Amino acid sequence: MATSQKTHSHVLQPLATLSPPSNSRTWQTAPHPSQPIVATACSDRSVRVYSLTSFTLLHPITGGHKRSVRSVGWKPGTRGQSVLATGSFDASAGIWRRREDGGDPQDFTHHGAKRGGEEDDDDDDDDEYQFACILDGHESEIKSLAWSPSGQYLATCSRDKSVWIWEELEDDNFETVAVLQEHDGDVKCVNWHPEEDLLVSASYDDTVRLYKEDSDDWVQVAAIDGHKMTVWWAEFEGAGMSSKDWRKETKDLDEKQRNYIEALERSGPRLATCSDDCSVRIWRRKPRERQDAANSGIPSIIRSAAIDEEWFQEAVLPQGHSRAIYSVSWSQKTGLLVSAGSDGKIVVYRERWKTTESGAHGDQETLSEWEVVAEFWEAHGVYEINHVTWATRRDKGVRWEGEEVIVSTGDDGEVKVWTLNEQSGNS
Amino acid sequence: MDLDKQNANPTILNPSDLPSRRRESIGKRRNDSGTGLFDGLIPRYNYLNDPFEQSALSSDSEDEEFENIDEQEIYDLISSISDPEHPLSLGSLAVVNLPDIHIQPPTSPFSSISTVLVEITPTITHCSLATVIGLGVRVRLEQALPPRFRIDVRIKKGTHSTDEAVNKQLGDKERVAAALENGTLMGVIRKMLSTCE
Repeated sequence: MATSQKTHSHVLQPLATLSPPSNSRTWQTAPHPSQPIVATACSDRSVRVYSLTSFTLLHPITGGHKRSVRSVGWKPGTRGQSVLATGSFDASAGIWRRREDGGDPQDFTHHGAKRGGEEDDDDDDDDEYQFACILDGHESEIKSLAWSPSGQYLATCSRDKSVWIWEELEDDNFETVAVLQEHDGDVKCVNWHPEEDLLVSASYDDTVRLYKEDSDDWVQVAAIDGHKMTVWWAEFEGAGMSSKDWRKETKDLDEKQRNYIEALERSGPRLATCSDDCSVRIWRRKPRERQDAANSGIPSIIRSAAIDEEWFQEAVLPQGHSRAIYSVSWSQKTGLLVSAGSDGKIVVYRERWKTTESGAHGDQETLSEWEVVAEFWEAHGVYEINHVTWATRRDKGVRWEGEEVIVSTGDDGEVKVWTLNEQSGNS
Repeated sequence: MDLDKQNANPTILNPSDLPSRRRESIGKRRNDSGTGLFDGLIPRYNYLNDPFEQSALSSDSEDEEFENIDEQEIYDLISSISDPEHPLSLGSLAVVNLPDIHIQPPTSPFSSISTVLVEITPTITHCSLATVIGLGVRVRLEQALPPRFRIDVRIKKGTHSTDEAVNKQLGDKERVAAALENGTLMGVIRKMLSTCE
C-alpha cells in the first residue's frame, strides 16, 4: 500500500469500513433517502444492508437472485416502509419491502436531520426484507436501475441494449410503460433528472441518451456523443444548486458572471458522465429559445421537434485517473463531484470561477472551471473501486448538520466511508 | 480431419523453440521421455500450481514489498493454456508470444498497481474463438497474479478481422464478470485451463 498521498486543499480520511465486509466483489451502494442505512449490491447474489450509524451489517438479503446483484435502489418518498429494487445478472429485477416500525415516518426531504435512535434490531420475521415481486423482461444481465424522484417510475437497463421504464400502478403491480432500444450496445447506467421525468442512459456504444414522455410515448430527446469509449456512469446535478454551491456568493460578481449564473439556472441541473476513456465530462442543456425552433425549415417526419433537447459539453474535468472511471457522483448539498474507478483512486473536484480571462466565445462561454481538491490513492488497497457516492453523515461524530460522507464500494468486498476535511495549514 | 474446426491445420512450434528461462533443464527432461509434437500437452513446470513460491525462493529477501514478476513468468502462466479446439497449448500455437507481453510499472509513486498487457495472435484472422482464448488468458492471470496487477488482454493489431470488438469485450470488467457466471462458457474455460494445473 502506498503510504503517502499528494497534497491538495482537502484531504480524504477513512472514517469506517462497513463490517463485516463481503467475501467477494461488491458492485454498488445506495444510501437510503431518509433512514441512516445503505444497501450494497454483492456478487455473491446477496444485498447487504448496513447501518451508517454503527457501520455494521443489519440485514443480509439473500435467496432472491441466481446471479450477481449488480445494482440496488431505494424507492424515494415511501412512508412507514422501505422499498428496495435489486437488479441482477440473472436478467431480473426484484422488489423488496420492510416495515419501518418504531419510528415516526420521516419526511424524506429533511433527511439531513439527525435521528435519535438506531435501527431496531429484533429477530421478528417482520423485521426482515420481504420479497415482494419480480420484474421480468430483460434478455440478459441488468446493469443498473433507478427510481424517478417521485417514485412513480423505475428504470432498468441491460446488456440486451434496452432501457425499460416500469410504473407501479398499485403495490407490487408494475407495468412496462416503455422499452427504449436506442443504444447499439450494453446499457451500463440509468439515472433520472431531479426535477423532470427526464431519464439518462450511458452505454458500451460510447454514447449517452436522454428520454422523455411525449404524448404517452417515451422517446429519445437527445443523444450525447463525446466520450471515446464505454460510458460507465451518468448522473444529474442536484436541483437548485446555484443557491448551495460555489455560485451562492454573488456579492462581488460582475455582470458577465451574473448572466452566466442566470444561464446555468435556465439550463437546469447539468449532467456528469465518466468513461473507459479516463475522462469525466460535464454536459449542459441549451436553454430553450423563445419560438425559433418551430420554423427551422426541416419538418420532422416522426414527431414534433419541440421536445428535442440540445446538450453540449461544458467541461472536461482535470484528469485524475489512469484507468477506466466507473463512477461519478454529485453532492446535492455542496455541488462537489467525486469519481473512482479501476486505478483504485478516489478524486474529489470543486467548481469555481475561472481566474484567468479567456477571450469571449459567444454566448456559451464557460466562466467556471474545475479543480481537484482531494485525492486518495489505493482507497481499497490494490483493488478496483466500482462505485462512489455521497451520503448524509449519520454517526455520532457528525460535525455540522447536513455533513456528508463519501461511500465507496470495491472489488475487495468492502464498503468504505470517508470524510472530506480541509487540509490544515493550507489557506 | 476435423473439417468443422476453424483452423484444421495450425502451425505448431517445436516446444524446444518456446521461450524459457530454464531451457537447458527442460531440454534434458525431454531427452529422457520426450515425445516431440505432443509435449505441448504436458505442463512444462510443476511449480505452475504455485508460481509465486518459486519467485519467493529465488528472491534474496522475503521481506521485499513485492515479488518481481517478469514477462517470462507471465508467459509461463499462460502458454500452457490449451487451445479450445486443438489439444495444443497456446504457446506451441504461437497464440501467446513472449515479445507480446508487456508489464507496466505503477504510473504514480503513490500507487503500487502494475499493468500486464498481453497481445494474443489468433491462429486465423476470422477465428470466432478469439474471444474465448482472450477470456481464458485473462481469467488465468486474474486467478494466478496478485490483485495489484491490472490485466489487459488484446488481440494483436492487424491479426484479426474484428479485433476492435473483441478488445472492447475483453476489456470490459462487467462483461467478463458476467461471463464467469455463465456455466457453459466457464466449462470451456476450465477445460482450457486444466492443462495449467
